[in-house]
Amino acid sequence: MSNIMLKELKLSASPLAYIFIAFGLMFFIPGYPILCGAFFITLGLFQSFQAAREANDIVFSSLLPIAKKDVVKGKYLFVLLIEGFGFLLMVIAAIVRMTALADAPVYRQNALMNANLFALGAALVIFGLFNLIFLGGFFKTAYKIGRPFVIYIIAGFVMIFVFEALHHVPGLEALNSFGTENMGLQMILLIAGAVLFIIMTGLSYKSACKNFEKIDL
Amino acid sequence: MSIVEVRDIVKEYPSFRLEKVSFNVDEGKITGFIGRNGAGKTTTIKSMLNLIHTDGGEVDYFGKPLQGNETDVKRRIGYSTGTVNWYPRKKIRDIVNIEKRFYDTWDEAAYRKYMELFNLDESKTPMELSEGMKVKFNLLMALSHGAEVLILDEPTSGLDPFSRNELLDVFTGLKNDGVAVFFSTHIISDIEKCADDIVYISKGKIVAAMPKEGFMEKFSEEGETLEDTMLRMERGDFNE
Repeated sequence: MSNIMLKELKLSASPLAYIFIAFGLMFFIPGYPILCGAFFITLGLFQSFQAAREANDIVFSSLLPIAKKDVVKGKYLFVLLIEGFGFLLMVIAAIVRMTALADAPVYRQNALMNANLFALGAALVIFGLFNLIFLGGFFKTAYKIGRPFVIYIIAGFVMIFVFEALHHVPGLEALNSFGTENMGLQMILLIAGAVLFIIMTGLSYKSACKNFEKIDL
Repeated sequence: MSIVEVRDIVKEYPSFRLEKVSFNVDEGKITGFIGRNGAGKTTTIKSMLNLIHTDGGEVDYFGKPLQGNETDVKRRIGYSTGTVNWYPRKKIRDIVNIEKRFYDTWDEAAYRKYMELFNLDESKTPMELSEGMKVKFNLLMALSHGAEVLILDEPTSGLDPFSRNELLDVFTGLKNDGVAVFFSTHIISDIEKCADDIVYISKGKIVAAMPKEGFMEKFSEEGETLEDTMLRMERGDFNE
């Protein structure tokens, strides 16, 4: 593991970032907007950024014998790791719900979004928004976390609402497929979510590296 | 031989300007960077470390520009601010265990030696240290990876007279080993005691950058100590 990653995990991270990974299991909760699980995982990450700011972590990191862009890289890798583990729990929950629990009445009689591949793609979009808005916004100042987080909350919850509502739109019922129904479509939607995640994270990382070079610490 | 060359550094703030700051730091010499509060010492040092984005100028270390060689340069230099103010609730041991991984040249023996000399306890957290002890901890990290240049921002501020004396002796020892020490201070007696060269900054401009003896010859009036000279120069500046 790279030294900067180890520094992120051992010195910068708030324990809440690790604990909140468990919110990925919210994909099991019936009758609940499951994408909130993705939001709560990012809330743990936000706590980490707050703790790191209080500990002057960015200045400490910038004085280490690494390039400034590696400081940015460390933060992005940490975020991707936490999101990755959270996503893994969501994948496990979605697979269980799509197979062993595919016909469970508690999930079948659910007006809200079903845990399927589309939901996983949607979770990746929520993570992508966090990376684009919060992470990218944070590295404009390497200090201000409130404003980018509030903007992310608004954008994130608008998207959660949209994703929850979509399958109620006539003609889009297939988005709420159970089990292995409409696998082709579900797979396409998951891949689309992953592509959006990569684009949003990539754009954010590029602008964060550029902005962080110009910041006075 | 110059190990650090600072050339024409400019940094604009709404109410302050660092104006074409230039000076050299020589190998095996102690260079005192002196100026009153707000003169531009910390801004200059931050510019030297790429912590702030300058509006002009260049800094070379070991004959290579900092830009483009940041990782290599930072490995070969040691830097310390006045006090440690990071990870206040983490144990010193845990901070050190991470930080030392970044240095191939980490010298565990030197680290242990300075831990003992500075009477530091690894099981404490930075918030449990007094201001003086924080300075020592910060300095200890800079000294433990075989740095060829030490850039220290107000290392003696907040230290008791005994610790200050010890520290200045440490500087002299390092100098004898060929290390270049560049430290900022507003305590003139520190410069008087151990510096070979003086870089004097006032209102964002370098007033003088030369050997201490040359400085005294150029600026001192008869019977004046360095402190008398500097106080007179600053007073004159104030009266203008």
